[in-house]
Amino acid sequence: MAAALLEQVINGAMTGSVYVLVALGMVLIYGVMHVLNFAHGVLFMLGGYLCHFFLTRLTGNYALAVLLTMAALAVVGAMLERGVFRPLQGNLRNQVIASLGLILALENLAVALWGPNALQIKVPATERLVALGELRFPLQHLLIIGVTAAVVAAMFVFLKWSKVGTALRATSQDRNAARVVGIPVERMDVASFALGTALAALGGALVGPLFLVFPQMGDAPMVKGLAGILLGGMGSVPGAVVGGLIIGIAESVSTLFLPTDYRDSVAFAIMVLILLARPRGLFGVRARGEP
Amino acid sequence: MKRLVALAALVAALYAVPALATPYLLHVMVLSCLYAIPAVGLNLMLGYTGLVSLGHIAFAGIGAYVAAWLMVDARLGFWSALAIAVAASGLAGALIGAICLRFRSHFFMIVTLAFGLMLYSVMNNWDDVTRGAAGFPGIPRAPGFTTLESFYRLALSGALLAFAIQWRVVRSDFGRILLALRQDERLALAKGVNAALCKTAVFALGSALAGLGGVLLVSFLRVAAPASFTLAESINAVLVVIVGGAGSLAGPALGALLFVALPEYLRVAAEWRLVAFGVLLVLITLFAPRGLAGLIAEGWRRVARRSQ
Repeated sequence: MAAALLEQVINGAMTGSVYVLVALGMVLIYGVMHVLNFAHGVLFMLGGYLCHFFLTRLTGNYALAVLLTMAALAVVGAMLERGVFRPLQGNLRNQVIASLGLILALENLAVALWGPNALQIKVPATERLVALGELRFPLQHLLIIGVTAAVVAAMFVFLKWSKVGTALRATSQDRNAARVVGIPVERMDVASFALGTALAALGGALVGPLFLVFPQMGDAPMVKGLAGILLGGMGSVPGAVVGGLIIGIAESVSTLFLPTDYRDSVAFAIMVLILLARPRGLFGVRARGEP
Repeated sequence: MKRLVALAALVAALYAVPALATPYLLHVMVLSCLYAIPAVGLNLMLGYTGLVSLGHIAFAGIGAYVAAWLMVDARLGFWSALAIAVAASGLAGALIGAICLRFRSHFFMIVTLAFGLMLYSVMNNWDDVTRGAAGFPGIPRAPGFTTLESFYRLALSGALLAFAIQWRVVRSDFGRILLALRQDERLALAKGVNAALCKTAVFALGSALAGLGGVLLVSFLRVAAPASFTLAESINAVLVVIVGGAGSLAGPALGALLFVALPEYLRVAAEWRLVAFGVLLVLITLFAPRGLAGLIAEGWRRVARRSQ
């Protein structure tokens, strides 16, 4: 039992790490721009496809392909901010509806370009097993957890001590005040979108080799990432990290007690219950503009 | 008076379609009607009240599965099953809506999305009752409406009923309260409106209409499959409402016709069609927030002004 539990906790930490990457990007964009981008999941999916493309067509090096994917999607994210979300600023309903349009367009674009069947990213790290006590995990599992931990640490350092990070935080706290002290607020919007999208791309590129790459691969991580954000408290960066991990581990552990078919529902049920009991989430941030 | 005559002529023409149309066109028309019915429900919520539900089609699924179970396993007749199923989706809408409506703006959207996915998961996985992913087979068509032509009349009648309900609601005091809630909830509260009750009521009504559409859809397809009630279908419902024109009486009809019929004639591959609709949805939010109905009304006004 203890071994089974540990196995599910590690599995959960792996899927949870993926949710953290998605949640971190969404929370960054939400914090700075007050935009809830439901299309974040399809950007994650594009990360998987582009990683496959770069790996097979351009370079044989997985790490390089991941970096190229992140750079490419950062550009896509910046373009979406300029073209779609900035003109709709202040109109939450239309922003959400536009992001639904982006889901439809990009998901089916992937079907049109790459076909409906799943692609496989061949990476040696998925086949090499690492022994942890009596349990064995693919190296890719630990790679995902490790990379996410590093990204989270880098993100905290960046937001806390770098000049751009400080400017991002200032913009998220008070747009007008930030403008008064000379922060280029519009550029911060683009930066948050590019950075958030790059994080989603990283998630897709990391998960791609483990599960296949297919047009709907981003749907579940997007919804779970959202659940993680709400759990942690909307707009809170540490909340997104803790919330994403909790959702991942809880749904993995739940498979020990419940049929695996219901693991998705477990995440949503936790989210709704927590929201009913603690509407501001675990970290209790009062989001900007919220009553 | 002029308007009434035009409306009567339109309805008569719609009922006369089977005499002229090929079976293929008729099939497309049936699907347009079946898309329009839940869209009317969503229009009342999204267009008139400002409640963006991202799980709307899951309530169509509740109606569909309740009716399927009643007809196949409980051997009930079509009409009583229809009535119970619509009531059941309305009740589910009231209960789930009451929970969702404790949240505001994007929290509301996320919670409706989560409930939609949970309901889908139940449809997909509760094998004993819903028959799981393969779908619930053997659903009969309504007695007397088994052929394509007659089923078209049933679907059309259902859609017209939905539009009549929408018209009645929008023109009532309740409808004016909904509009007030969309425009300024605090002001409406100050005026003594029971916002929670009214929003729950419109959520229930919208869900009941979705249920009606769901029952007719599975009766047409003769199978209830979870694939008909996915998140993508809920997004499509939002698309139909927004493209048609949220908060306009004819919006859902225009949206459903455009969504179902136009691509069939353009004959493009399904995925490119959805790419185009996705882009269209983005463009509409950017440049024509009142949708197709708004564009038509604007065009009509210009023509009228010029002819004067």
